[in-house]
Amino acid sequence: MTTTLAEPVADDAGAALRTWRAFRRNPLGLPAVVIVLVLVLVGLCAPLIAHYPAGYGAAVLQAPSAAHWFGTDNLGRDIFAEVVWGTRVSMVVAVCASALAIALGVLVAVIGAYFPALDGPVGVVVDLVLSLPVLPLMILIAALAGPSLPVTVLVIALFSWPEVTRVVRSSALSVMPLPYMDAARVIGGTHRWIIRKHLLPAVAPVIVVSVVLTASRAVLSAAGLAFLGLSDAQSWSWGRILFEAQQSGAMSSAWWTTLFPSLAILLLVVSATLLSIAYNDARDPRTRRRRRPARVPAATTPTAED
Amino acid sequence: MPTALRFALRRLARALLTLWFAVTATFLLLRLLPGNPALAVANPNMTKADQQLLLHQYGLDQPLIVQYGKYLWQLVHGNLGVSFTQQVPVGDVLLNRLPWTLLLTGSALLVTIGVGIPLGVLAATRAGGALDRLVQLAGVVGQSLFVPSVGIFLLFAFGLWFRVLPIGGAYTPGTSGAAWYGDVLRHLILPCLSLTLLQIGSYVLTLRATLIDALGEDYCALARAKGLPNRSVVWKHALRNALLPTTTLVGLQLGFLVGGAVLTETIFAYPGVGRGIYEAVTQLDYPVLQGAFVLLAATVVVANMLTDLAYGLLDPRVRTS
Amino acid sequence: MRRRSFAALAAGALGAPALAGCAPSAPAGSRATGDTLTIATTTDVVNFNPLVGNSRTDYWVTDLMYPRLLTIDADGNKRPCLATRYGYSDPRTGYYELRDDMRWSDGKPVTATDVAFTINVIKRDKPAGNTTFGLLANVTSAKAVSPTRVELRLSTPDAIVLREVGFWMTVVPAHVYGRVESVARFANTADWVGAGPYTLVSAAKGQAYTLERSGSYPFAPGGRPTLGRVVFRVYPDVNSEILALRSGEVDLIANTLPPAQVRILSRTNGISVRKVPGLGYAHMAYNMTRRPLDKLAVRQALAHAVDYGAIRRVVLQGQGVSTGSSPIPPTITAYADSRLTEYRFDPAYSRKLLRQAGFREDAHGRFAALNLRLIYSLQDAVTAQWVNMVASDAAKAGITVTLQGMDRNTYLAKTDAGDYDIYAGNFAIMDDPVTNMALTYLPKGAINYSKVDDPELTGIITKALVTTDAAGQHDLMAQAARIVRDNVYDNVVYLQNFYVAHGAAWTGFVAKPSELLTVVDPESLARVRKLR
Repeated sequence: MTTTLAEPVADDAGAALRTWRAFRRNPLGLPAVVIVLVLVLVGLCAPLIAHYPAGYGAAVLQAPSAAHWFGTDNLGRDIFAEVVWGTRVSMVVAVCASALAIALGVLVAVIGAYFPALDGPVGVVVDLVLSLPVLPLMILIAALAGPSLPVTVLVIALFSWPEVTRVVRSSALSVMPLPYMDAARVIGGTHRWIIRKHLLPAVAPVIVVSVVLTASRAVLSAAGLAFLGLSDAQSWSWGRILFEAQQSGAMSSAWWTTLFPSLAILLLVVSATLLSIAYNDARDPRTRRRRRPARVPAATTPTAED
Repeated sequence: MPTALRFALRRLARALLTLWFAVTATFLLLRLLPGNPALAVANPNMTKADQQLLLHQYGLDQPLIVQYGKYLWQLVHGNLGVSFTQQVPVGDVLLNRLPWTLLLTGSALLVTIGVGIPLGVLAATRAGGALDRLVQLAGVVGQSLFVPSVGIFLLFAFGLWFRVLPIGGAYTPGTSGAAWYGDVLRHLILPCLSLTLLQIGSYVLTLRATLIDALGEDYCALARAKGLPNRSVVWKHALRNALLPTTTLVGLQLGFLVGGAVLTETIFAYPGVGRGIYEAVTQLDYPVLQGAFVLLAATVVVANMLTDLAYGLLDPRVRTS
Repeated sequence: MRRRSFAALAAGALGAPALAGCAPSAPAGSRATGDTLTIATTTDVVNFNPLVGNSRTDYWVTDLMYPRLLTIDADGNKRPCLATRYGYSDPRTGYYELRDDMRWSDGKPVTATDVAFTINVIKRDKPAGNTTFGLLANVTSAKAVSPTRVELRLSTPDAIVLREVGFWMTVVPAHVYGRVESVARFANTADWVGAGPYTLVSAAKGQAYTLERSGSYPFAPGGRPTLGRVVFRVYPDVNSEILALRSGEVDLIANTLPPAQVRILSRTNGISVRKVPGLGYAHMAYNMTRRPLDKLAVRQALAHAVDYGAIRRVVLQGQGVSTGSSPIPPTITAYADSRLTEYRFDPAYSRKLLRQAGFREDAHGRFAALNLRLIYSLQDAVTAQWVNMVASDAAKAGITVTLQGMDRNTYLAKTDAGDYDIYAGNFAIMDDPVTNMALTYLPKGAINYSKVDDPELTGIITKALVTTDAAGQHDLMAQAARIVRDNVYDNVVYLQNFYVAHGAAWTGFVAKPSELLTVVDPESLARVRKLR
């Protein structure tokens, strides 16, 4: 009975397949997926890979060796273990912050787009929050509220949702006037039903991209807060490893205390960003179609290869 | 004319709203979250009565609404108050730091635009090619850098191994005259480089995407069909339209010109507003924090106006819409 | 049209800086002759008024300009500085005799009027964060009875006020500070007048503070300070300071080195490392208003579940010494009591104590009733390390210690509210055992973090406060220290000796005890020379 209304849904399988094909063609897409998956796996299996870094060891600030792949820190703890466990904490923080931001951001965006009367105020609020200086405010709140993981998550989410709203709202606004939305209203669907069955699926791809981007930015923000000593000092996040290297003066003499957590941050953020870009390019029929004409000028230059 | 007037009034209202919001948000955050400025200057000998006296001196023992009213009243008279810890007017505290921040973030923005636009064009005109991939990858990597990591690496490399650039500060104390300007430039290089690396990715990627779109438009095909050289199609026709989103980006960046470099200024010991904010947070210096956030909000407002102006110049349709 | 688009972008990019119209401008050159010593520090000068100042750099910079009545030697004894002699003419009148050869940089002599003015103005204006204010509680007023003699009128007999005020108070020029309405609101940002070896000539916030040689200084060789100029430069952390020292950008790091960096830097070419005796200690206070910490057995169990030796070996890299679990630092040789011994690390004994006190272990060997929350400041890098060891050692005795690290302000707020089971931190200077015991163990003491209220201990300390005879005071303090140790009213973990690093081309530094005085003390910097 919903066949007439299921138009965008029926198209899903085909669209997904096309997206996947386009995604595979992007040479940066697959490696990014693999790296993200490996990091997720490391985070999940941290206990199987390394002992939880606790206590102290006799050999402090030892350079990388066979016994300690990434060297040891100022208390003689194994930095490899810290990075492995840091993967878990950093990812949990990123995922929680991103989930919160997305939930809030999408809710506001959808309400704004669906109820035209509310769209004005929503736009103003989003603009206002977007105009606040993010990092200084994060520092202020984290310092006043007292550093802990929940505070870190909340603070990051608090300043990430408007960006989500902005992106999702513009996508939702472009869906609203489409015929099937009118049709859904005509047959008397409830607001909630229409939003859930039609509006949300339509903006889902944008949300997916937002999730990945917000999470990867959250990794950086969380590391920044931890580096300034404004996050939980007991759970091993990548930022905490750097904070301890800074506090103990190890950064000036023991490069390994800084390099490996920094690389971990870079790897995760880069691959997550590349992943979302590749997905975005692949699912967008415009970029799929336009790629060809766009290449015309490129084909005239000697460096082009296809 | 009435439309133009209405447009101007609406902009003005939005500017005031933005300022009010930032001021109020900061005021409330400082008062409602835990944190006691009397303790931040505490010494072991301070009794509860001394603390209370200090809070009274700071005016923090009054009801919230009275404090808020007084603060707004001061503010509309251009008075930002006096720093708790330094006993000097907040305006002086901020004006000492503002030039350095503007020098750093302004020069980073110029370099970013100067390098980012050609790179974006390069990537777009070779879309799908190896060079394009490389530029894209570099852009993404730049965006993903963690400032303290980059900072310490740059300091090690240029400050210690090659010994060509200084470790910190904005200039060497004791230099004067013409040598001083050269010295300032040398101190500017590393923080500016670090900021540029960080920002350039978004410019390149945005410009690349919009330019690819623009090049696919009919008017570009038409221009090409008319036999215009490819270079002129790209730089004259396509780029002009593709610059709109980039302008938005510049506008956003301008807004964060003053406060956006907290980490960079901290790592390179650059005496700017961002580091001033961080220090004021550690000292719970409420007046300085409030003043700093007013300054930041004002920058955003000015940046928004400049962006609108630039939009008007780029796209006349905006003025009437 | 095309040009306009670029013009718009360029206008946008240039707009804000141009609008502000304030390009940084070049400073004027300097005429001072002689060597320049550049010193790295990690905090800005917050306040140039020494009566208000609170950051460490404030202390270092203003100390080079404003004299103290007394100083401290390597054995922790107070020594004459501006004051040549001090004492009590009767139990309620104290006096300082001053030397007559110190001059303010504007040529006026430093006299008893300046000292009396400083004391009275602190009492009158109560400057925020002033350390001396609390010490002056029993002083009603000060008076210059001659150019070289100051008399302090006391409300009750006080045996320690003279040496404490003498050590902590910086004397400011009455003819400058007397002109302002309230010294509590005086920022002192220009036209500095000092009486130390060097006087500030320029300050660039967040950047550098430049001091130049004053005319004469009695504690310098030949009465003339050796350096032409002293420059303090601000760096964000000790890492940048070390890089700056290694690259030759600075000559001395004022902050003491993190323990793990000492050996590395002492092996670095062109860098010398020098020891500075500690004068404070790191400790843990068990909040006795909270159960079960009110039980002696529990505190003893906790004290025996810390591997003090390992902390000194690993965290302090052997640079710490034991105080024998006494709150009197061994550096203060006149008071130190070598008979006290440190709590033995013995988790099995801790378990035994707890079982005897009626606590029961669960299947995992943990005492469920003993889950304690320990607070510490994240900005205190060394403490942040050893508390981790405390937690893992306590686990061996079946005690769960949950660490709660926080930024300094939150930490201070929690401390103030008594919101902790265990407090971990350190005191930079415990220069006077009597004062410090009064602050730490009297029921209303400002730093009584254990919330001790022991009538016997209170009696001893109160008696020491009015005992002017030195031997009697030493004896009372020894009794008090034993009570504190035996009842675990405080758990002193170690006394840290510090190290500072400077360029090998410099010599003549004098190391004064504590991380506050170190080698940047005026007497030290008045003697520093560059090797030719």
